[in-house]
Amino acid sequence: MADSDTLLQQPADSPVTITVRSDDQVLRLPLSADTSVRQALDTTELRVRAACGGQGTCGACLIQIVSGNFNPPTLAERQKILPEDLANGMRLSCQLHARSGSELYLQHPAPHSEWKSLDVNQLHKAAGNPAVTEHVYGVAVDLGTTHIRLSFWNRQSGRRIGSRYSVNPQVAHGADILTRLDANRLADSDCRVIGQQARKAIIEGVRDILSRDMGEVSPVLAEIGKVLIVGNTAMLTLICGNSGDSLYQPENWQKPIACLPDDVEAWRGVWRTPHAEIGIAQPLAGFIGSDLLADLVATDVIGQQRPMLLADFGTNTEIALWDGQTLWATSVPGGPAFEGVGMRNGLTAETGAICRVSKDAGCWRLRTIGETPARGYCASGFIDAVALMLDEQLLKPSGRFTQPQTEGRYLLDRDNPHTAIYGIDVDIFQRAKASTAAAMTQLLAFAGLKAGDLQTLWICGSFGQHLDLDSAMRVGLLPAVELGRIKLFANASLAGCEKLLLDPAGEAMLNAILGRAHVVNLGGVTEYEERFIDNLRLQPVPTMECG
Amino acid sequence: MLEAYIQSYNEAVFETDKQAALEVVNKALSEGLTPEDVVFKLVIPAVEAMMARIESDPDSNLAQHFMTAQIAADVTERMLEKFSQPPEVIGRVVIGAAHGDLHSLGKRIVIGCLKSLMVDVIDLGTNVSAIKFVDAAIEEDAQVIAVSAMMVHTATGEHGSMEIRQLLRERGLEDKIKLAVGGAPYRFDPELYAKVGADAWAPDGVTAAKVIVQLIREVKKHDAA
Repeated sequence: MADSDTLLQQPADSPVTITVRSDDQVLRLPLSADTSVRQALDTTELRVRAACGGQGTCGACLIQIVSGNFNPPTLAERQKILPEDLANGMRLSCQLHARSGSELYLQHPAPHSEWKSLDVNQLHKAAGNPAVTEHVYGVAVDLGTTHIRLSFWNRQSGRRIGSRYSVNPQVAHGADILTRLDANRLADSDCRVIGQQARKAIIEGVRDILSRDMGEVSPVLAEIGKVLIVGNTAMLTLICGNSGDSLYQPENWQKPIACLPDDVEAWRGVWRTPHAEIGIAQPLAGFIGSDLLADLVATDVIGQQRPMLLADFGTNTEIALWDGQTLWATSVPGGPAFEGVGMRNGLTAETGAICRVSKDAGCWRLRTIGETPARGYCASGFIDAVALMLDEQLLKPSGRFTQPQTEGRYLLDRDNPHTAIYGIDVDIFQRAKASTAAAMTQLLAFAGLKAGDLQTLWICGSFGQHLDLDSAMRVGLLPAVELGRIKLFANASLAGCEKLLLDPAGEAMLNAILGRAHVVNLGGVTEYEERFIDNLRLQPVPTMECG
Repeated sequence: MLEAYIQSYNEAVFETDKQAALEVVNKALSEGLTPEDVVFKLVIPAVEAMMARIESDPDSNLAQHFMTAQIAADVTERMLEKFSQPPEVIGRVVIGAAHGDLHSLGKRIVIGCLKSLMVDVIDLGTNVSAIKFVDAAIEEDAQVIAVSAMMVHTATGEHGSMEIRQLLRERGLEDKIKLAVGGAPYRFDPELYAKVGADAWAPDGVTAAKVIVQLIREVKKHDAA
C-alpha cells in the first residue's frame, strides 16, 4: 500500500504536530483538526493575546505562518487583517487549523500568566436552565492543594465561556500543606494568608476568562449569581478563613467538618461580585473532601448496579468503593510522591517533566511534557522508570539498587542530573503506592469483593493523565484489573462541581451519595497495616487480592 | 548447616521477601531444628544483624525496616506456639501512640522487633492519655513506657510525654519505669526527646527496639542492686 493511501485512510481528526516559536521559547504541540491554534496554545504557557473568546472579532491573536498547510482565511480574518499581511502568512490563531505538520511564529505573545485552558472534552455538558433569569453567570471551582481549576458559565444557556487551571499560590509557602498543618508549623496568620491568596487566585482566574473570552470584566462580574467551590478539607477550611487546627483533632477525622465562611459580604466585596452566592460544597469528613464527592457526581458511580472503585490521587489520595449498596470511602497519605513534591527530581505534570519512560534498542527514551529538556519526573514518568528498572534488574523488589550507585542515584540520561532516580525517592514512592494499594484492597475486603469483580476502576485527578497502566500494575500501585475496565478522568472534580452548579438534579445526586457513604478511618485497622507492609515491595499487588 | 540457614534467612529479610524467609524456616524445621532454635539461633540474631546493618547503612529503606519487624514477629509468633515450654521473657513494655496521635504504623515496627527479642509488649493502641500509659505500666509491672508521636504537636503537647514524666516523678517511679520516645519529630530535632522528658529515643523502629531493651536492662540492674 502506498504511503499516500495510508495518509488518506487516516481519520480526519488524526492530530498533526505544530511547532510554535516565540522570541524566547519553542513548543511542539499535537493538534487535531477541530482544535484551533489558539485553543491549543491556551493550554500552554505561550498564549496569544485575545479578547473575544475565539470569535475572530477582536483581531488580537495574530500569528505568522512559517511553513505548512492550513485552512483558507475566514471571513473574520479577511476583515481584521490587512491584505498584504494576510498574503504574507499573517493569520488569526483562533481561526487557524493546521492540515499538516507546520511551523508558526508568535511575535507578540500575551503577557505571562499562570492560567491555562483545560481540555473541555471530559467536562460537564450542561442543558441550560431557563429558570435562571438574572445574574446568569456562574463559576465552578475545584480548589486543590497544588492546583486550582475553574470554569465560567452562562447558567441560563448552559454555555461554558471558558475554563482555566493554575498552580495554587499556597505552593509557594512550601508545597505540602498537609504536612505543614500536621507539623503545626502554620500560624493562624499563615492560614489566613493562604486562604486570602486562594480567594485572590480564583478571581484572577475568572478575570482571565472574562478578559480573554468575553472582552469585558467588571460588568460581567456584577452579573455572577453563583460560585460553587469543591476541594479537599484542608483547603476549604483555609479559604473559609478558619485555621487548620480543627483538622488535627482525632475526633474530627471521621465526621463532617463544617467549612463555612463568616465574612461572605466582605468576600463578595473583594471579588466585586455583589450578587454572587458563594457556596462551599461541604467535605464528607476530616480527610475526605468534597472533591471526592464531585468525582462521584461526575462519574455517577452510585447509579450503577455493579461494583466500582474510584481513586483521586493527590497529596491525600481519596478512595471510594461502591458495592451496589454502600459507598465505602477513605483517604490515605498518597503524599507528595504523586505530586512530585518532596522528591529530589519530582515535578508536577508541567513543562519539562518526564511523563513517559520506555526502552528502545537498549537506550532509555524519556518523553517530557512540551518536549522540552527534562527537568525531573512527574508521577507517571517515575512509575515507568521504576517499572523498567525492575524489568532490567537495576532495581530490586525491596526498593534498593541491585548494584551500589554513586551518590545513591541512577541516571537515565548520563548528561542530565535531573533524570536521576534516587534510592530515597523510590523509598518515598513505595510508601505512597503501598498505602494506596492497601487501601483499595482493604475496602474491597470490607465489601467482600475482589478486584476482578470491578466493572470500572476510575482514576481521577491529573495524576492519571499520562499514567501507563501496565507500569502502575507492575509496581503494585493498582491491583490487576483488565485495562478495558480502567477509566482515566483528569478533571472529574471540576466536572462534578459543574454539574452541581448547573444541573438542578445535582443536589439530589449529592444527597444520595451522602446517604450511602460509609467513612472508614484505616488508621485503626490492623489488617490494613498488614496489607500496607505487604504492599511495600515493588511487585504486582498479591494475586489473592485480585482473584 | 545452621550457617546456611542463617545466611539465606538474613538475605530474605534484607530483600523484604517474607515468602522466602518463611520457606527457610519451614525447611529448617523439617530438617530437625527445634522451634526454640529457629527463634534463638535464626530470628533473634537476624534482627540484631539487621539493627547493626540499618544503623550503618544510610541506604536502608522503610520497606526493609517494616519487613524486618513483620517477618521477625510473624515467625516468632508461629514458633512460640510450638515451644516445649513458655520462653523466658527479658522484660515488659507498654507502648502506644501519644495523646491526639492516630498513627500506628511506626510503633508496629517496634512491637514486631521487641516480640522477636522476647520482650512482652502491651499495645495500648493510638491516642493514649498520659494517665493510661502510667496506670498500665504499673498494673502490668512494665519496665518501659514507649510513646510514638508522629506529629510535632503530639510529641511536644502537654498531655503527651511531658505529662507522663510528671506523673512518674509525682509517684516516685522514675527509677522503676523508663520513658522512651520515637517518631518523625524526634528526627528533626535530636535534642527533642530530652525536652519532653524522655530517657531515650531512637531514629527508627528497629533501633527503638534495641534502645528499649537497654532501658529494660538498666531498670532490672537498678532493681537488683
